[in-house]
Amino acid sequence: MKKLLTNLFDFEREETAGEILAFRLFELGMAYWVLHYAWTWAFYILKIGDVVLPLGIAQHIDISFMFSHHLSLFNAAAITILLGVGFFRLWRFGYVSALLLMHIQYTARFSLGEISHGANIAGMVLLALALGALFFRDSVHAHRFTYGFSYLFLGLGYMSAATCKLVASGPLWVDGHHMWLWIGERTVDTFSLSGQIDYNWLQELTLNHVSIATLILSFGLLTELFAFLMWFKRTRPWIMTLLIGMHIGVLFTMKISFPANVAMLLLLAYPWGSWIDKGLMRMNVSIFDRRKHGRLRFT
Amino acid sequence: MIHQKALYVIIGTVAVAALLVLTHVGEFWPFSIYPMFSRGGHPWVRSVVRDVSGSGAAPLWTAIDEASDLPGDPYPLEPAGINQNDIANFVSKSDTWDAKRLGAMRKVFGDALRFRHLLIYRADGNLNDGGQVRVKFTPFILITPDTTYLNPDVALSMSHVEPAQ
Repeated sequence: MKKLLTNLFDFEREETAGEILAFRLFELGMAYWVLHYAWTWAFYILKIGDVVLPLGIAQHIDISFMFSHHLSLFNAAAITILLGVGFFRLWRFGYVSALLLMHIQYTARFSLGEISHGANIAGMVLLALALGALFFRDSVHAHRFTYGFSYLFLGLGYMSAATCKLVASGPLWVDGHHMWLWIGERTVDTFSLSGQIDYNWLQELTLNHVSIATLILSFGLLTELFAFLMWFKRTRPWIMTLLIGMHIGVLFTMKISFPANVAMLLLLAYPWGSWIDKGLMRMNVSIFDRRKHGRLRFT
Repeated sequence: MIHQKALYVIIGTVAVAALLVLTHVGEFWPFSIYPMFSRGGHPWVRSVVRDVSGSGAAPLWTAIDEASDLPGDPYPLEPAGINQNDIANFVSKSDTWDAKRLGAMRKVFGDALRFRHLLIYRADGNLNDGGQVRVKFTPFILITPDTTYLNPDVALSMSHVEPAQ
């Protein structure tokens, strides 16, 4: 347990300048995606007039109050302000308040029956930041907790997805014919969206060779099952790169994109902090050398 | 000490998340069990919208096996700013079609209905015995500028249907 916690949080180590900068960029990445969804949903909610499938809090309150008086736009504005409050450390409850309002925005937007998972990763990272701000006064501890929490729950999420597949369909979930059926489903969707039916090269390849379809599904299932490897520093970049590859595969085979997942995985997978530190160091050395040889003068 | 604190926060979050997803059919944003694509090989239901404004004739409520045989012109949802999943879920998950529900369906299409007759098809997909994908398109709802018609055969299978206005 100690080894796992050390791998996840790494509380004891000092935070470098590069790590602080990388963390703030990571935070901005989360804010971008939360705002993207908050505002996109806000305008879409204006078209909604009934609750077909109540999700989350909508199972306990009538969420249809969000469909009128442009409340969804006011809610998005409030989320925007609260994210700013959280980002600039003006109020410890900024992020958690934004999360609660996002939950209402989500349940209003997805009251027509769709259960979307595209924004869950941004929500989980927002929750990580909110808990970090609430429970850890020291900024280094808050940052490390945010990263560790994100790794833990992202890993659990992907493993849960794999477990659901095995529970619902067993090991034969990887049968390539299943992919044919999903490609057919997505083809009807693209036909409905664009009015045209077209297959890309990867879809044609999988539809012509069921073994390739089986191979792709096996890769996806195994990658999700081994997502717990992101809990450990040494294996983290590898498994997260494979997960990014899996999302790119889903995009090409099923034409379903998870841009927020890919963006968050990119920000979490690699040691951006130490890369920034190395870049800064090289820049300083370079400037020092050039000054030493008289090629750079400050006036 | 600090590790212990982090552990307590995580245990608390796992407990709350488990409680919420267990009592809310696996979904309580941002928590989820992520069940998408878990049912391999199971039939699916989607939707296709056709613009039949030019046909003039009363709709034929007969199912069609080929997309190319669908009447009218495609009504692409993307340029109209409508999410495909919403229409598909309207068609597949609604077991109540009262005036409010029909009004909500009309609201999603908004101004597009001012001059158009849109026929929404329910698309049922499955794998046949030979492992090939087969799709059947069943006309579901015809929406005109002033009236909404529900396929009478589909209406019979619904738990609650009010006569379309």
